[in-house]
Amino acid sequence: MPKQILSLTVNDEPKDVLVQPYLTLLDALRDELGLTGPKEGCGTGDCGACTVHLDGKPVASCLVLALQARGRTVRTIEGLGESHTLHPLQDAFVRLGVPQCGFCIPGVLMAAAAVLAEHPAPTEEQIRYGIAGNLCRCTGYTKMIAAIQEVAGEMKGAAR
Amino acid sequence: MSVMKTTRDVKGVGLSIPRPDGADKVTGKVQYVADITPRGLLHAKLLRSPHAHARIVKIDASKARALPGVRAVLTAADIPELKRKAPTRAHAVLAIDRVVFAGQPVAAVAADEVAIAEEALDLIEVQYEVLSAAVDPLQSMKPGAPPVADAGTEADTSEALAHSAVAMAKGETPTKAVNVSQTSHVKRGDVAKGFAESDVVIEHTYRVPMVHQGYIEPHAVLAEWDRAGNLTLWASTQGSFNTRSEVADVLGIEENRIKVIPVECGGGFGGKIRALCEPITAILARTTARPVRYVMTRREELEAGMPAPQVIIRLKTGAKRDGTLMALEAETVLETGAFSGTVLAVSAVFLGSLYKWPAFDIKGSEVLTHKPSVAAYRAPVAPQSIFAIDSQMESLARALRLDPAEFRARHLSHPGDPMANNQPWASMGAPEVLERARAHPAWTGREAWKKGARPGTKRGVGLSLGGWLGGLQPTGATVKLNPDGTLSVLTGQVDIAGTNIALAQIAASAYGVDIDKVKITTGDTDVAPVTGLSAGSKTIYTVGVAVMQAAQAARKQTLEIAAGELEASVDDLELVDGKVVVRGVPDKGVTLQQIGKKGNLYMSKVEPVLGAAHPAFSQQAPAFAAQIARLDVDPDTGEVTLCDFITVQDVGKAINPLAVEGQMQGGAVQSLGIALTEALLYDDQGRLTNPSLLDYRKLTAADLPNLETVIVEVPAPAGPFGARGVGEPPIIPAPAAIANAIEDATGCRLTELPLTPERIALAIARTRPT
Amino acid sequence: MRRFEMLLPGSVDECVQALAARGAGARTVAGGTDLLPQMKNAMVKPATVIDLSGIAALKGVRPEGGGLRIGACATARELELDPQVRARYPAIADGAALVGSVQVRNLATVGGNLCNAAPSADMAPPLIALDAEAVIAGPRGERRVPLATFFQGVRRTVLTGDELLVALVVPAPPAGSGGAYIRHTPRRELDIAVVGVAAQLTVQNGRCVKARIALASVAPTPVRASAAEQALEGQALTPETIERAAGLAVEAAKPISDQRGSAEFRRHLVRVLTRRTLTTALARASA
Repeated sequence: MPKQILSLTVNDEPKDVLVQPYLTLLDALRDELGLTGPKEGCGTGDCGACTVHLDGKPVASCLVLALQARGRTVRTIEGLGESHTLHPLQDAFVRLGVPQCGFCIPGVLMAAAAVLAEHPAPTEEQIRYGIAGNLCRCTGYTKMIAAIQEVAGEMKGAAR
Repeated sequence: MSVMKTTRDVKGVGLSIPRPDGADKVTGKVQYVADITPRGLLHAKLLRSPHAHARIVKIDASKARALPGVRAVLTAADIPELKRKAPTRAHAVLAIDRVVFAGQPVAAVAADEVAIAEEALDLIEVQYEVLSAAVDPLQSMKPGAPPVADAGTEADTSEALAHSAVAMAKGETPTKAVNVSQTSHVKRGDVAKGFAESDVVIEHTYRVPMVHQGYIEPHAVLAEWDRAGNLTLWASTQGSFNTRSEVADVLGIEENRIKVIPVECGGGFGGKIRALCEPITAILARTTARPVRYVMTRREELEAGMPAPQVIIRLKTGAKRDGTLMALEAETVLETGAFSGTVLAVSAVFLGSLYKWPAFDIKGSEVLTHKPSVAAYRAPVAPQSIFAIDSQMESLARALRLDPAEFRARHLSHPGDPMANNQPWASMGAPEVLERARAHPAWTGREAWKKGARPGTKRGVGLSLGGWLGGLQPTGATVKLNPDGTLSVLTGQVDIAGTNIALAQIAASAYGVDIDKVKITTGDTDVAPVTGLSAGSKTIYTVGVAVMQAAQAARKQTLEIAAGELEASVDDLELVDGKVVVRGVPDKGVTLQQIGKKGNLYMSKVEPVLGAAHPAFSQQAPAFAAQIARLDVDPDTGEVTLCDFITVQDVGKAINPLAVEGQMQGGAVQSLGIALTEALLYDDQGRLTNPSLLDYRKLTAADLPNLETVIVEVPAPAGPFGARGVGEPPIIPAPAAIANAIEDATGCRLTELPLTPERIALAIARTRPT
Repeated sequence: MRRFEMLLPGSVDECVQALAARGAGARTVAGGTDLLPQMKNAMVKPATVIDLSGIAALKGVRPEGGGLRIGACATARELELDPQVRARYPAIADGAALVGSVQVRNLATVGGNLCNAAPSADMAPPLIALDAEAVIAGPRGERRVPLATFFQGVRRTVLTGDELLVALVVPAPPAGSGGAYIRHTPRRELDIAVVGVAAQLTVQNGRCVKARIALASVAPTPVRASAAEQALEGQALTPETIERAAGLAVEAAKPISDQRGSAEFRRHLVRVLTRRTLTTALARASA
């Protein structure tokens, strides 16, 4: 079965990748582009470990066929911070002791970034619902919420 | 062994330090098995039986083998070294002539692409003769039930000891009940007399279904052989040495021909201890002479993983009107699935030992059924057992109109009191934990809080206490001084709970340097000392001691070298800020760098400092936790809103409080999942009806409040700096705490988990006049 | 997933032609939130998948003839957040907001939710209660079908193999209207309706002049609770009339018992949720 060229922007860079039509966006990112940050936890959109931003919105990349991303913009966890500087959310997660096994973390961070983009001063409920699509088995979510709230508070402080 | 005090002025034990791998985790740099893609990689898929019990009549794999891109298709006929009667699940690599659970692997494929491997599965033709299946454990334990095990396989209790070293009397040998694979029986006193003299006798049957450990990373393994016949396995595992031993046994090769590299593990919680996919992946790699990777799908995990057993406990307790406990009678059934493997003895300990019963009679049976065999899940059998005994204590207290927390405190065992097996309770902090919980404002202020319920809802507050005995397993560690004066620590311990940073803190404190001078590495099975499982809440308790002793040995060597250099006595020396000095003479000293360098110079007579320790243990360190739940119940829909949830836990000594809190919060959520939403649901043919995360419900962030943690420290005599294991206690109390809170809110006592809105709403509806 | 070829039509016509050409071996994909899990579970193994995401005519939500035209590929998230939908058709926003999680809602489309035709589809009852029409394109041109008759059974609709759902057209609710959709699930997100109830009411001069009640997950298709509707029309909406309607709604429900809920619990929930949905719809109608 011949591969097709998929042209899209990934983490601010234009990419041309050869993909089979039956490849998901998650598989294309991981296997063809070497971006193994997004993970497969379930393959059916029920765990959030594969969360990336598609045209700026958080989506379950295991449910997107790679070719459906043609001409569009994708951001993965590898594109959240800079190569030598952590994004404030990443920094807060480290300092507050959030990651344990770490498997859910890339997806949670992408969902959290989307929450803050939509609600710069989110309530606890908005944060909880914003990451409710991300299952975590290690942490109980409490430190994640605290880290996201801290970053939101700093953003608010910086904006004044 | 005396409790070691923290070296003064050293940054180590007791600090809340973030994990050193945090930055790699938040940037997606950490590699898990599925992220490792060597050249030439093939993808494995397994064909699984759709039937719970069937004879395999014929398998035709010819069409599958002919599919372009398929590199191997194996059935049991292609693997002569498979034992005819598989003693464990790991040995049942591919079913030989009979399948004993739906989801059991029957054939294996390795192909260039995952999609091709899946198509190959479709092309394998298997003819089954379906047999009747034993699906309900209560039916399966009767004589005449369809047999599960091959005749002659022994009950497998090996894992029980790693989790919890409990010496129990063996029960009678089962005679005609072919599917009863283990029994236990402990007694004390005269229960019949005790009940006869009781004023209140309460009997309930508690049921907890099979649940999945729920790790977000499915099982994954990558296998590759070299041309000399040595195997390398990159595995998501909680115990690289255990994996090596099991795979060596299954394949019939020597352990030192296998290297297991423990790759970052995306959660295990007991489900990644036993070998599962490693043997078949290794065999595919050998057959194809290519690296082969197998990653389970979530569906396969739910259908064919190694879940926690279903537990059914009939519990009868009697007490006098003044609250004196009189008698306890229990029958416990643990459903183990197709292979034996529960920690049966543990249940009796919690039922009969947590509170002081003058008379008890506790029988337990492990029952085989045609379902996937079980493995441990974070404090195996304890959440279920505590659900029973704690609910029962609450029910007794309410029937006697006594304060339920005070009732527990009154009858709680203390260190030295006899356990169900007549051994005395070791040092443990159950009384302190209960006292702290009772003093918490969520408990003391509960009546006022309940009055604030919004119209149309009811509020309830519940408390529960449980604990874990603590596992023991021998282990080893080394600590070396580098030529620049820094330390490197080596263990074989898989870091699933953030233990590495805590171990580094222990090494820092025990040696006498700041934590930032210490690096810790988890080595593979070729380079690391033989190490036990990361399970049983025993990592800090055992490996922590090994690291501490190795660091102490390295310190001793260091001081002896310095004593020689300084011509002083070791007793006059102290180690301050990286320099060994004569006490009171600060300029007379030698730096760690100087000592380290000397141990590495050409022609030097100074030995390189290398501390090693390889302890075994006999003293457990039980650890207890209490949880308080405050919840709102919508009586019409049965929906529960958890408003507050507090975990109070005795950790002995919090080596790293930040990491300890994380363990407490994670365990709490798993406990709440068992309480509220999780169950593996099978139909009457033994097939799983909810093989997806849509219908196997794990709690989301929107379902939970902030999880408060309260750390209590009752030092463990043999623990490093007094530390106890922390991983398991927090998964234990929630089911009972939630059930108690629901009874507090609604008057309904529910004894079957999970406590779903349906069960709650229908129980309430039944109490209403129609 | 097994292997398949993929077609990327740029227009509705191209898509209809592709469907006609490929026949039963083809499936369309929009958000993929139902199709991909089914394919991964081997419930369906199409040889051809036709991507709808490149067809501009299927996207978006816009006013039309006083009412609303919702493109079949409008996402649940768009419907959840669209100010017009929230203001005038809140039942649709309620239903859309409940689908999956935010990561699913950014992909899931209203067309996919309806064409997948699971009895639990959250966007169906609100649209039925609002008298929506399905706009369908096929080789013989365009046709419209009232959504109330669109569903024929579990996973079955009136669409023939060469037809494509293009849009939903929702008439403008009269003045004095309000609607709501409430469902029960064991978890707050990532879940699927055990029972869902949509209600749309029009109240004038203190009386209900129009009532629509639609139920999810209590029959092979979404169903209207007609007897309950009739009991409300012409009446003043008091707690008693609402309670009576809630009881009649139970009779419209023919639930099965499955692992998500027993028939007994589902009937119980129909009464409770109908009462609550009607109460919310009334409050919105009166606002």
